[in-house]
Amino acid sequence: MRELYEKLKTRFPLGEFTDQRDNLGFITVDKDQLRPVLYHLRDHEGFSHLVLLTAVDWIEEDRFQLTYLLSNRTRSVDVGLRVMLDRGEPVMETIHDIWPTAATYQCELREMFGIDFPDSPGVMDDFILEGWDDLPPYRRDFDTKKYSDETYAHREGRVTHDPAEYMKKQLYPDEV
Amino acid sequence: MMLDVLSPFRAWKNLFRDPVTVIDPLNDRPGAARYRGFHQNDVDLCIGCGTCEAICQNAAIDMVPVKQLEAPGKDSGLRPKIDYGRCCWCALCVDVCMTGSLTMSNEYKWVESDPEKFRFIPGVDKKYWDDAELGYHRPEDYHLTPHTRAEMGEMEADERISNFDEIVYGYTREQAIIEADRCVSCGLCVATCPAHMSIPDYIAAIRDGDYEGGLKLLYETNPFSQVCGRVCTHRCETVCSAQHEGDPIAIRWLKRHITDNVPAEKYAEIIGGKEPDTGKKIAIIGAGPAGLTTAFDLAKMGHKVVVHEANSGPGGMARYGIPEYRMPYDVLDHEVSVIESLGVEIKYNTRIGKDIAMEELQKDYDAVLLSIGLHLGRSTRIIGTDNPAVAKAVDLLRDITNGKKVKVPETVVVIGGGNVAMDIARSVARLQKQTYGEVKLTVTALEDFDHFLADPEEVKESFEEGINILDARGPQEIVIDDKGKVTGLRTWKVKSIFDEDGRFNPSYDETDEIIHEGTLVIEAIGQMSDVSLLGEDLTEKLEWSRGRIVVDPDGRTNQEWLWAAGDCVHGPDIIHAVADGHRVAKSIDKHIGKAKAKSKK
Repeated sequence: MRELYEKLKTRFPLGEFTDQRDNLGFITVDKDQLRPVLYHLRDHEGFSHLVLLTAVDWIEEDRFQLTYLLSNRTRSVDVGLRVMLDRGEPVMETIHDIWPTAATYQCELREMFGIDFPDSPGVMDDFILEGWDDLPPYRRDFDTKKYSDETYAHREGRVTHDPAEYMKKQLYPDEV
Repeated sequence: MMLDVLSPFRAWKNLFRDPVTVIDPLNDRPGAARYRGFHQNDVDLCIGCGTCEAICQNAAIDMVPVKQLEAPGKDSGLRPKIDYGRCCWCALCVDVCMTGSLTMSNEYKWVESDPEKFRFIPGVDKKYWDDAELGYHRPEDYHLTPHTRAEMGEMEADERISNFDEIVYGYTREQAIIEADRCVSCGLCVATCPAHMSIPDYIAAIRDGDYEGGLKLLYETNPFSQVCGRVCTHRCETVCSAQHEGDPIAIRWLKRHITDNVPAEKYAEIIGGKEPDTGKKIAIIGAGPAGLTTAFDLAKMGHKVVVHEANSGPGGMARYGIPEYRMPYDVLDHEVSVIESLGVEIKYNTRIGKDIAMEELQKDYDAVLLSIGLHLGRSTRIIGTDNPAVAKAVDLLRDITNGKKVKVPETVVVIGGGNVAMDIARSVARLQKQTYGEVKLTVTALEDFDHFLADPEEVKESFEEGINILDARGPQEIVIDDKGKVTGLRTWKVKSIFDEDGRFNPSYDETDEIIHEGTLVIEAIGQMSDVSLLGEDLTEKLEWSRGRIVVDPDGRTNQEWLWAAGDCVHGPDIIHAVADGHRVAKSIDKHIGKAKAKSKK
């Protein structure tokens, strides 16, 4: 994998490299370097398949990470390209013109993380969350518990006990 | 390109493989091997810590009492009840489960018309999938919390044996963060701690780097937090939910870490603050953890407190019973100075019954607390114990604390297997090392190592320091030569300690006899209170049970002006003494508050 990284480095400014295993590596690239690197990998290095496109919310660093995972099926080698986005302005260029399947991933990421991909076909359509009007649920500041509490009714008659308080009463029955 | 064209034909290689489809899908529809279906819970393994409830993002879990499981002290007595109307089958509860008791079966097809049936307690409300083997179990090497305790730095044996310097260094910030991050805040520790210290909250304060907030929390429940951060019996750690799949959280060391990280001069400001003066006066006998905790609380309530202490320094058993290498005196002094800063007056070298009469206290104060500890050593009363070369551990420990020149001979034998035996053995070993350059000391304990009384780390460290500990040895006689000098201790092998009725009645194998060489024999088999200060009248009036004063749940004796607390009532344990102090302070405040007219100057 390092070989590929060194080779790419002569053509593109690249960020951090992670040598995950013999047939998998990750390379961080700048937002505006993604398309040229993707074209190069597809057309000159045999990475013909977009395996997936996903995101991570690094809320502490105020960034989103996009990961474009590509596969060279003949050589059974995968490479992931990491792109860091400003969490305050989560917009990324679409790549559906390179791989049409990307449109679906981009639609999902727009819905789940609130990352926009302008001009991606159907990017504003509901993906699985019909009528969602809350914070995108995969964002780490989305409070799942609170949402579930407010959205779904609790069955009547439910009672819970605090383990610490309950155990204390049993151990120290004389205490008030 | 060629490969892409041929690829459809590659499917032919699967022609003779067994089908993966189910033969009778209408009737036989098993979930996949790791399907996340209805839960299973091994209720005997489960400790009811509620971590599953805390992590559930759908609020699908309630912790409910299960009557047949109630065994106070072992666990919370609660078990998770799951509402399958809310469960989304994510298995976070299984992943976080501290004991590994909660798993999921691969059963998913169960149908009932009554929705209430879909709320049940897995493992308690019996279901047909309870014994299903397939389903989602947390993979063996997958843990959401690390299992190993952050290492604590301490002095090596050869470095520490020649002095009384504190052995344990205390956590660094990095170590403390690693340790604090392992806590899941279940609170079983809070329930178990006699003083109910808010452990998860102060551990959270460490995570946040808020040491002053942490210190405030500590002193809300324990004015001996620096002491307990070092020598507490830490019952909290014995119920810690982390211990089931790893090490319990080092709660004691984390507590110490907070106290180490707040400058000494800031304590009073953070902890202080008191109500306006009430004009009431309380006398406390004994400046140990129980007495001074009571003093701390009462002073905060605005009462005037005078503590009478027979010794020349504060701390009681924590100072005179625990060696300096475990409990440095300057730390203890600082602890007490915080209590004094609230206006508590401590009169040292003042022995009740000698310097001041008990009746005087009763006359001059609105209430009196007896917290006199256990400063008298018990004797085995075997032949020869009246020889001057037979000593009691508490007396020697007190002499060492007082800075008296304690002369130890080249060979010493200690009788006893508890922590006091270890304390005196390790203290004497240090003195031997300083005087003779080597340690020649034998500890003979009645209990065998499987039932040993002293803490395992005390035993381990004693061995490291060159102390010879022999288990299951029953003392028979102090060996004395014809000039009247002690030369050793004769013991027999212990066969059993208790008789069939459970009474203390050791039996021995007389053929297995050892004479342990030693010109000094130290007895460390237990302590009692010196109650001579009470005088005949009061002793007569008070109610007694097995040599201890009987008190009500609030610590009040049958005399309305007299309370008793700490080791002299409940036996040796600092954190229990602290809890006792709080209880008694509340009770005293309640009673003298009512009896306003009785107030004297």
